[in-house]
Amino acid sequence: MNRIDIKTAFFIAYKTIVKGHKSTVALIVFILSLSFFNLMFVSGFLYGFSDGIMKSMIDNATAHIILMPQEVPTSKSFIFDQDAVIAEISSIPGVVGAVRHYQLGGTLVYDKNNDGNFKYSSAQIIGINQAEEKKIISLNKAIVSGEFPDDLKNDEIVLGANLSGGFGTKQTKDLGGATVGSKLQINYSNGTTRTYTIVGIFSLSMVGSVASTAFISDSEAEKVLGTYNNASEILIRVDLEKNTLEQYMARIQGLFPNLKLEKYTTRLSTVGILITAFNLIAVIVSIISIIVSAITIFVMIYINALSKRRQIGILKAIGIKENIIEVSYIFQSIFYSILGIVGGLLVIFLIVIPIMAVKPIAMPFGNAVLVYTSFGITINIVSLIIAGILAGYLPAKIVARENILKSIWG
Amino acid sequence: MIKVKNLVKTYSGEIPTLALKDITLHIKEGEFVALMGRSGSGKSTLLHQLGLLDTPTSGSVAINNIDVLSLSDPERTKFRLQYLGYVFQEYALIAEFTALENVYFPAMAFGDNIAIERATELLTLVGLGDRMNHYPSEMSGGEQQRVAIARSLINNPKVLFADEATANLDTVSSEVIYKLFQKLNKELKQTILMVTHEPEDRKYVDRVIFLKDGVIEEEKK
Repeated sequence: MNRIDIKTAFFIAYKTIVKGHKSTVALIVFILSLSFFNLMFVSGFLYGFSDGIMKSMIDNATAHIILMPQEVPTSKSFIFDQDAVIAEISSIPGVVGAVRHYQLGGTLVYDKNNDGNFKYSSAQIIGINQAEEKKIISLNKAIVSGEFPDDLKNDEIVLGANLSGGFGTKQTKDLGGATVGSKLQINYSNGTTRTYTIVGIFSLSMVGSVASTAFISDSEAEKVLGTYNNASEILIRVDLEKNTLEQYMARIQGLFPNLKLEKYTTRLSTVGILITAFNLIAVIVSIISIIVSAITIFVMIYINALSKRRQIGILKAIGIKENIIEVSYIFQSIFYSILGIVGGLLVIFLIVIPIMAVKPIAMPFGNAVLVYTSFGITINIVSLIIAGILAGYLPAKIVARENILKSIWG
Repeated sequence: MIKVKNLVKTYSGEIPTLALKDITLHIKEGEFVALMGRSGSGKSTLLHQLGLLDTPTSGSVAINNIDVLSLSDPERTKFRLQYLGYVFQEYALIAEFTALENVYFPAMAFGDNIAIERATELLTLVGLGDRMNHYPSEMSGGEQQRVAIARSLINNPKVLFADEATANLDTVSSEVIYKLFQKLNKELKQTILMVTHEPEDRKYVDRVIFLKDGVIEEEKK
C-alpha cells in the first residue's frame, strides 16, 4: 500500500459513508455505542466496586502503609520511641500523616439488662489518639450512635457495630445490642480487667475486621500494657500523586531498615479475594464485550459488503486493487467504531455518571461509582478500534476475493 | 495489438461447458472490431477473457506484446487499470460517486495528478460537461453510458472493450454512443473491441468477427 492507494481507499470509504443510507449508518453507530457503553459501564462499575473497597480500607482502617515492629533477627512487640519515628516519617515529602496504634487482645463482657446474663466477645482492642487519628482515618464519619470524641477518655470506649450488635445483621459473637452510655468490662489477655463506658458505635461493611474492633485511648492502652511512647503499628497516609506507594515504602524502609512494612492491600484478607475476583470478572466481561462488538461490526460490514458486491466487482474490473477495497472497508469500520466510542463515552460521562451522582446505587462500602483511569479508557478504545479493523477487514476480504464477473452480475 | 492463439474456455460444473473452442485472432492497433453472434455464441465470454476479467482454460493472449495470461493477479489488476478500458451493458457506474468522480477515480487510483482536469475534458467530449456533478441515479441510461465511456478513457487505454454497450438504450442514445465510438476510433486512433448482437451495428466498425457455438465462423471487413 502506497500513499495513493491509501488516498484511494479513503476516498471510497468517504463516499460510501456520505452517500450511504443514513439510517444504516445510524443503526451501526447506535449498536456500537451500546456495545462500547456496555464495555465501559460494566468494567467501570466492577473497578469502581474494587476501588470503593480499597478506598474504604485506606480511609477507615489502614491508611496506605503499615509500619510494624522488628521481626528479624529478633522479634519485638513494639516500635519504640514512636514520637521520633512518626516525626521522621512525617518529614518525608508527600506523607500526609502518620499515627500510632496499640493493639491489645481481650474479652469484652456485657450485661445488657444488669440481670447477670453476661455476653462475652473476644475482640481486638486498639488504642488510638483520635485527635491525630482523624487526620488520616475517617472512622468518626461511620458513627451510627453516640460519637467518636477527639479526647477519648481512659474509661471510654468506641465499638464496631458488629461487636456491639443491634445494627444490621446479627453476628454470632456480638454483645447482643450494647448501647451508648452503658458500661462493659474488658478482660485483657495480660490479666488486667477494666470497665469502660460506651461512647460511640460505628458501622462499616466490607472492611475486613475493623467493624468488629473496639477503640480505646492510647494513654489507656499504655496503662494496660505498661508501656510508654511505643506503638504496635504506625499507619501512614501518603499523597499518591507525588510519588508511588513503592517509592514511599522504599524511602521509609531506608529510614527504618529493621521495621516491617506492609501495603494496605495485604490487610484486605477475604475482601482481597473478592477484589481479585471482581477484577477478573471485569476483564472477562470486557473481552466478551469486545468480541460482541467485533461480531457486530463483522456482521454489519459483511452485510454492507455483500450489498456492495456489484460495486466491488466494478472497482476490481476497472483495475482497483483488492487491498485498496479492503482498506476502504477498514476505514469504514474505524469510522463506525470511533462514532460508537464517542456515543458510548457521551452516554457514560454526560448521562450515566451525572445520574449516578444524583441517584447513587448504595453498596456495602458506600455508593457505587464508575471508576475509570485514562489507561483503562485508552485500552477500551484501542481494543474496540482493533476489533473494528479486524472485523471490517475479514468480510471485505471475503467479498473482494470473489470473481469479478460473479460480483458484477451475480 | 491483441494476439489470441488457440484460446479455450471451459466452464466447470457437473456437465462442463465448452464456451470458447480454439479461438485464434489478431486485432491491430487503431482497429474498431465488432464481435457478433447469437446469444450464447461466446462473444461476451471472449471479451471477458481478452479484457482480463476472467481466465481462459488454455491458449495465449498478448496485448501490446505482453503475455497477459502469465501475469499474477495484482499485475493483471494493474494492467487493467493502465491499459484497458471497459464499457458494460449496464453502465457499471459507482452509485455513490458523481459523474466526475466516476470518471476521474481510475486516474486517481493510478496516481494521476491532473485526473480532475482530464475527467472534465472527457465528460465534455462525451457531451456531459453540464452534468458532471450529478449522481448516476440522476442521469438517463444514455448519459450514464457516456459517463462509463469517459471513465473507460481516463487512463488512455490501449484497448477499449464494450460489452453490448447500447443494449439498454433507445435508438437515439445508441446512435450517440456509436458515433462517439467512431469519433474515438477515428480521431484518437482508439482500438475498440465491441460486442453487439445487432446486425446493423456493423456499419460503424472496421471489421466484424462472427462467433457461433464458441468458434469464429467468419470475419468480414
